[in-house]
Amino acid sequence: MPGGRAGVSSRNQMSTGRTGVRPRRAVPTDGPREISLPPFPDAGKDSGEAAADRNIRGHPFAGTLLARRQATVSELTVLGAALVVAAIAVAVVASGSLVGSGPGFATLLVLTILAYVVAGLAWRRARPWSPLGPLLIAFGFFCSIMSLDALAQPVAHTVGILTEAPTTFFLIWLVLAFPSGRLDRTSRWVLGGIGAVILAGLVSRSLAMPMIQPALPLARCNAACPDNPLQVVHHASLTHAVRIAGAGGRVAIFALVIGIIAVRFFRASRPRRRILAPVYVVATLLGLAAGMNQISTNWIGAHVGPDDPRSIAFSATWILFPFGFVASIVLAYVYVGAALASMVRELGVSTTVVGIERAVQRVLDDPRARLAFWLPRSHRYVDRHGRGVALDELDAGTWRSFDKSDGEPLLAIVHDAALEEDPELVEAVGAETVLALENQRLQQDLLDSIAALRASRKRLVAAASAERRKIERDLHDSAQQMLIAVRIQLELARGRVDADAKLDAQLGRIGDDLDRALDELRSVAHGIYPPLLADEGLPAALTEVAARTGVPVELRLEDVGRLPEEIETAVYYCCLEALQNAAKHGGADVNVTLRLWWEPHLLRFSVSDDGLGFVPDAQPDATGLTNMLDRLGAIGGRISIRSAPGRGTDVDGAVTVGA
Amino acid sequence: MSRAETRAKPAGADETRTYCIVVAEDAYLIREGIRQVLEQEDEVEVAEFCSDYTSLLQAVERHHPDVVVTDIRMPPSNTDEGIRAAATLREQTPDTGVVVISQYVSPHYAIKLFEDGSAGRAYLLKEHIGHRNHLMGAIREVANGGSVVDPAVVEVLVEARTRAKNSPLGHLTPREREVLAGVAEGKSNAAIARTLFLTKRAVEKNINSIFAKLDLADDTDVSRRVVATLLFLSETGSSSSGGA
Repeated sequence: MPGGRAGVSSRNQMSTGRTGVRPRRAVPTDGPREISLPPFPDAGKDSGEAAADRNIRGHPFAGTLLARRQATVSELTVLGAALVVAAIAVAVVASGSLVGSGPGFATLLVLTILAYVVAGLAWRRARPWSPLGPLLIAFGFFCSIMSLDALAQPVAHTVGILTEAPTTFFLIWLVLAFPSGRLDRTSRWVLGGIGAVILAGLVSRSLAMPMIQPALPLARCNAACPDNPLQVVHHASLTHAVRIAGAGGRVAIFALVIGIIAVRFFRASRPRRRILAPVYVVATLLGLAAGMNQISTNWIGAHVGPDDPRSIAFSATWILFPFGFVASIVLAYVYVGAALASMVRELGVSTTVVGIERAVQRVLDDPRARLAFWLPRSHRYVDRHGRGVALDELDAGTWRSFDKSDGEPLLAIVHDAALEEDPELVEAVGAETVLALENQRLQQDLLDSIAALRASRKRLVAAASAERRKIERDLHDSAQQMLIAVRIQLELARGRVDADAKLDAQLGRIGDDLDRALDELRSVAHGIYPPLLADEGLPAALTEVAARTGVPVELRLEDVGRLPEEIETAVYYCCLEALQNAAKHGGADVNVTLRLWWEPHLLRFSVSDDGLGFVPDAQPDATGLTNMLDRLGAIGGRISIRSAPGRGTDVDGAVTVGA
Repeated sequence: MSRAETRAKPAGADETRTYCIVVAEDAYLIREGIRQVLEQEDEVEVAEFCSDYTSLLQAVERHHPDVVVTDIRMPPSNTDEGIRAAATLREQTPDTGVVVISQYVSPHYAIKLFEDGSAGRAYLLKEHIGHRNHLMGAIREVANGGSVVDPAVVEVLVEARTRAKNSPLGHLTPREREVLAGVAEGKSNAAIARTLFLTKRAVEKNINSIFAKLDLADDTDVSRRVVATLLFLSETGSSSSGGA
């Protein structure tokens, strides 16, 4: 594909394309600067800088090499730090004496830290503008504090356990902020309320419980737990009430969050569901496992050991949770691959603008997606109906513009807001659409020039044909008439010659010469343009031609009626050429069959002989054949010439008429 | 039918008659040639010279000529006005004979001229007009309801037909072919006998033999015989369903 380079450069252009995505690291009010379209020079510089800025922070395959290397270095640093922190946590757990299954707890901690940090790094790499990546990483580090659970020292133990309450808050924040990283108004209220409930539970537990159980099953110390140094209220029934209420509050929170994400999921558009699904699934699983855990330990009072299925389920979903984010990204890439493949397929079938737009809608899974095309002269975008599309009046995150490979704006895709979280898909679809449109324009140009070529060829042939008719008429009306007049006069003169036998004989010879001259002129004029063709049409003219050909011709002519002049002329000369070839090269005993007939919308003719034939490629004098091809080609007809030595020759032609 | 009786006489027998003629020819030189040819003839009186289709029909209405001598190709369309005029006159004044003079050797036009009846019609090539008795002979024939086809045209037909594969003309003797050509030219048996130096009886024998070999129905009506022969000759083995 010659577009290897073009593909790369268009991809680079693509990454610098302006988007409706708000620059998330910047202050939100900064948004409009990037949204404004820069067809005007003064605006161009600004947005150019913004574009370059995005480019570095940008996309995994969009960044420059330097930016990518820097990104990789910072990722390795974070990962190294996570390993160090995990090692310390393991050391802390090992030094403690409280936890019954120390190695299990240590393993859980290491896995937790690494899982969240790795997931955060992956998220940050794919969505560098999103706060979710840093949040995940921070959460991973934060979890290391829980290693203090293993210590018997009461203050350290209590600090470790108190960190558990914020983890719930953090995780819920992650779920509610997913996928954009931002919390909408409702989420903020909900999260605030949950925070208040959690804080209340934390305070009440700290003040009322004689000792506090770690929530993580693997960290349980049960009866061996040290006393709570913060306890100020010593009342058994109150302790019980706080315990039950705390567990109830947590279960209610989990149920609330599961309910919220369920509602969100079922209200979401199809593209958004695809993005939400992985994280919502793991979040629901974790919520259910945590709820079960609360119910069984606090209400039922069961002793849930670390090997209990409920414990294992909780630990597993706890580790699994961050991978929901990784899965979301991986699925996005997988979907882009499949989507592009199906888009390429669809664009292969339909290259109309409507077809391209439908392909985009299907691939984005957004039935309301629209294409907006840039009009370079009027500096605006229009949709395929020609209606103006004002991108800067649209919501941020609902459109993305793409440039041609030469940097000119070409089109924008206006899409569902959810696709903002699927930038790989939108960019890939946009790049594919740019290619398809450019390709279509090239194809259109090619078709236009082919059509122009055909039209000019047709005009040339028509002009030549008109010229021939004119010459034929002129010959008839001038030279031939004059010769005929002279011939008449000559005979009249002969009639007046009395008794001069010699003069009469001489005049007779002159008369014969004149007759030959007339015959000659007649056949020249006829060769230039047969008057019978113009007067009577193909069957009559072909009948006459067959009679003049020096070989037996069997005629099977349908009465095809009168046809456009260029068709009659082309078919006539093709048959003439083929007949002459048969007479010239067919041998002494050649018999020719000339056929003319109708098929629906198709005028067909064939000239077949049983003569000597020839090897088609070895024909030294192929101008006759070329003439036939040219004449029929000019009127959009087809002709095939089949021959082999000893097998005769078949000339077969077809012309589309009236379609 | 009075015509059939006159036709039975050899052409030119009615020497005392004077034929009123209208000539239509757009080319000046040819018109002059025709004028000179006809001026030599005492039995002819040219009522008017026209140069296009419309004026020809008007002149016929004015003069009620015995014979019209017309160019095949004239204004307004320069295609086959002469043949169309012959067809029109067949309707309007059936007794008027028409001699179409043409530069086309193609038999197609001759056959077309005879399509709606060959009685009183002749098809001559222009270059032969000066030949002694050629035009005058045709005028006499058509005035008497006969038919004439220029020998050159018949020659084209016979040649093409002879060449054709399995041509029935292959079964004819050279003499029979000559007689057949005479028939196609519209000659009476007597005329054929004169040109071929045969007895009338020999011509009749030949004709019977030819028509038997070609599986044609003999017709004592000479002009109907012409058409049958011309059509037979023009078939050229073709299964053309018309147009030609």
